[in-house]
Amino acid sequence: MEITLTHYLVLAGLVFITGMVGFVVRRNALVMMMCIELMLCATNIVFAAFARLHGDGGGHVFVLMNFAVAASEAAIGLAILVEIYRRRRTVNVDDLKTLME
Amino acid sequence: MEGLLFWFCGGMLLLGGVMMVLQRSAVVSAVWLVFAFISAAGIFAVLGGPFLAVMQVLVYAGAIMVLFLFVIMMLQGPVLEGERRLMPAGLWPLVAVPPVAVLVLIIGYLRSDATVAFAASPPAGFGTVESVAGLLLGRYLLAFELISIVLLVALIGALALGRGERKLPWK
Amino acid sequence: MQSEILLRWIVLVPLLGAALNGLLNRRLSKQVAGLMACASVGVSFVLSVVVFLRLTGMEAENRLVQDTLGTWMQLGHFHVDLLFSMDQLGAVMALVVTGVGFLIHIYSLGYMAHDDGFQRYFAYLNLFIFAMMTLVLGGNLLMLFVGWEGVGLCSYLLIGFWFNEDANASAGKKAFIVNRIGDFGFLIGMFLIGTILLPHLNGDEGLFSFTVLREHAGLLAPSATAICLLLFVGATGKSAQIPLYIWLPDAMAGPTPVSALIHAATMVTAGVYMIARLNFLFVLSPTAMAVVAAVGGVTAIFAATIALAQNDIKKVLAYSTVSQLGYMMLACGVGAFSVGIFHVMTHAFFKALLFLGSGSVIHAMSNEQDMRVMGGLRSRLPVTYATFMAATLAIAGVFPFAGFFSKDEILWKAWSSGNTVLWAIGFLAAGLTAFYMMRLVVLTFFGENRASSEVRKHIHESPATMTIPLVVLAILSLVGGWIGWPHFMGGGGWFEQWLEPVFATGAQAGVHGAHTGAAALDVMVQNAQMNHAALETMHETGMEWTLAIISVLWAILGLVLGWFVYFKRAGIADAFKKAGGGFVYRLLLNKYYVDEAYDAAFIRPGYRLSRSVLWKGVDAGLIDGVLVNGSALVVYLLGSVLRLFQNGMIRFYAWTFTIGVAVFVLYLSFSS
Repeated sequence: MEITLTHYLVLAGLVFITGMVGFVVRRNALVMMMCIELMLCATNIVFAAFARLHGDGGGHVFVLMNFAVAASEAAIGLAILVEIYRRRRTVNVDDLKTLME
Repeated sequence: MEGLLFWFCGGMLLLGGVMMVLQRSAVVSAVWLVFAFISAAGIFAVLGGPFLAVMQVLVYAGAIMVLFLFVIMMLQGPVLEGERRLMPAGLWPLVAVPPVAVLVLIIGYLRSDATVAFAASPPAGFGTVESVAGLLLGRYLLAFELISIVLLVALIGALALGRGERKLPWK
Repeated sequence: MQSEILLRWIVLVPLLGAALNGLLNRRLSKQVAGLMACASVGVSFVLSVVVFLRLTGMEAENRLVQDTLGTWMQLGHFHVDLLFSMDQLGAVMALVVTGVGFLIHIYSLGYMAHDDGFQRYFAYLNLFIFAMMTLVLGGNLLMLFVGWEGVGLCSYLLIGFWFNEDANASAGKKAFIVNRIGDFGFLIGMFLIGTILLPHLNGDEGLFSFTVLREHAGLLAPSATAICLLLFVGATGKSAQIPLYIWLPDAMAGPTPVSALIHAATMVTAGVYMIARLNFLFVLSPTAMAVVAAVGGVTAIFAATIALAQNDIKKVLAYSTVSQLGYMMLACGVGAFSVGIFHVMTHAFFKALLFLGSGSVIHAMSNEQDMRVMGGLRSRLPVTYATFMAATLAIAGVFPFAGFFSKDEILWKAWSSGNTVLWAIGFLAAGLTAFYMMRLVVLTFFGENRASSEVRKHIHESPATMTIPLVVLAILSLVGGWIGWPHFMGGGGWFEQWLEPVFATGAQAGVHGAHTGAAALDVMVQNAQMNHAALETMHETGMEWTLAIISVLWAILGLVLGWFVYFKRAGIADAFKKAGGGFVYRLLLNKYYVDEAYDAAFIRPGYRLSRSVLWKGVDAGLIDGVLVNGSALVVYLLGSVLRLFQNGMIRFYAWTFTIGVAVFVLYLSFSS
């Protein structure tokens, strides 16, 4: 069967859902960050698919931007997590609720 | 040919994602994610973006995930105490609401006859290094420069955060 | 024309004086403060004389000077100006108020010389003159009401002048509150007038302006009874008639010059002035006129009986004032408005004199007011005694003193309008007046002094600032009535003539409406062309002479009896008490227990209502409980619900994000 745009979008959607559910379910902060990466990956797939549809390389450029952003965000996020671990000795987000009312 | 590749890589991607979420051990999750990313690279390749596929492997699977693994190893250790049990069963319905919604969208979309087919083959030079480079340094030059600044800032930020308690000059 | 501008200064100069004294207070020395206060009233008096003279130079029908400070309110057709106007009636009132007021200011310089609140006193006093002048020179009913309220305020301030004593403050409150009750009726009456007239006016004519009201009196005729009765309620409050007179005796707690000025000569006459001013309205309602006359008559005799038994010198004079005000109301009620105003004027002279004289006595007796410990002051206070005697003869109505002319005229008008009952009541009360006044004089000035030796040592005649006004007022009490020398005695009746244009419709219709007998007069009045002067000649002058002579003899009898009972045979009073008159005596001494009755009927229930319903129920329960605490409780509950969303659980926050995404997605998929 011919692979149309729809297939790629559905795939991206499913991957995105997986990442979203994982983010909500897992308590380990590191795994949550990995779920974020998964979600970003899904969006990359969407961009690439549309780039292929329109024959426009701009989509690929955006994917590259996305890579850079994801990397930066991972770096900073992990640095923050390390700092938190140093103070609290835990990365279980359920234990990090001092901001509660 | 293309179709087969799509189904294969797509399936692997989904498998990797799901397994990543369901694993108790953080290290195993990370490895599954690497697997998922490599499959994603395959998707990119199928979509006519060889440069993108290579970059995906290099940056994502190669750099970012390595970083993750470093940090995992440094901190907690593979299995978190609080995650002996993934989630109390009663909460699954709540969590399932958004996915169901998206699935409804997808199903609706599939049932409709709105299918858009790709062109038989991409235009010449699509997805090659030269074309991407040309765009990066041509049309999207500003974005390129800005993203480099973003990386610089992230670099500085990570350094500052990662250094830990040190006597700062003004304290 | 120039005299127009003067009108506003007549009113505003005392205000200026009040402001300066009030704001600068102790920074002004007593000399300067007193001088300024007296000067401002003096200026008002001089300006009033100037405008009065201008009025005399004008044609009798058009004697009116008006001064508009500007538009006060303009809302569609509702138009009220800041309007001052002086016509014949206003001139009389202005001269009396500023003239007598000036004398009392001079007197106060001496009386209040040792008081700490000297400057404050004069500030209040000047403020009072300002308010009274606004009342008297107001060109429309609203300006009158502003002055009405203003004098009420000043009365409160001055009664409670020595506010450190609880009793004085309470007396001030009582005066103000009782006045307010009257004012409620006044306001409703005004609203009625406004509602009826407003649709018929365009925006240029000032609503409530007296000239406008007079023009459109016909429109008000159907509701005249209601309006007039309501306005009269206000008058009973201000002019101390039954049932709202109760504040006046208590008002004696204030300084004596205040009692003289406010509660004898000026403020209390405001009710009479108002009725006289609105005569064209009152004559439209024979019922209202009858009520006014009846209330006046009953009050006159009622108060006179109470005065018989009082021991405080000022209380006797207070009830005497209530009684005399009853006479003025009686006069207005039978349609003799100018006579009522005539009595206002003469009463101002002799009552102010009586009060000031009593002030002199009190001053001499080291602030003692109980007559039972006075006596024999005739030799020690000669000027006070002589002037006081003059005033007593005036109030008793002995010829040729001022009181004779006005009181006799009132009684004659009552008789000639056919109200023989009213005449009888007035006649009786006149006798009582002579009796209790003589009692007062005897107890105070004759016999042996009954005070302690300490007090006796300090008895001295008052200083010149106090005695000179006494003398001036005594002279006025003698000659003041002569401008009303009646026709039947050969005079020109100039006072009545002067006021005639103001009351033109009033007098005619009043006689028509109120009389029940005198058939001969009836025929004459049917003829509308008959003017008032012609009517006068129709009077039975013989009857007038008879009644006049009877009045004088009756007054002299009263005086002699008083002398006899209290001086010659002091024991008669005690014998009367023992013979079973003790009950009557106690009844009169306790003022018929009216205050106690009001307390039981209105004040206690009112207090209970306030306490249990309004305080506990509404204030604590409803407002505090439901509204204030209730709304706080609602916020608290709402907050405690919303707080559940702020549990600090990151996963929960993330989940809400996903729910948001889901909603968005569903919306998109179903809206296309």
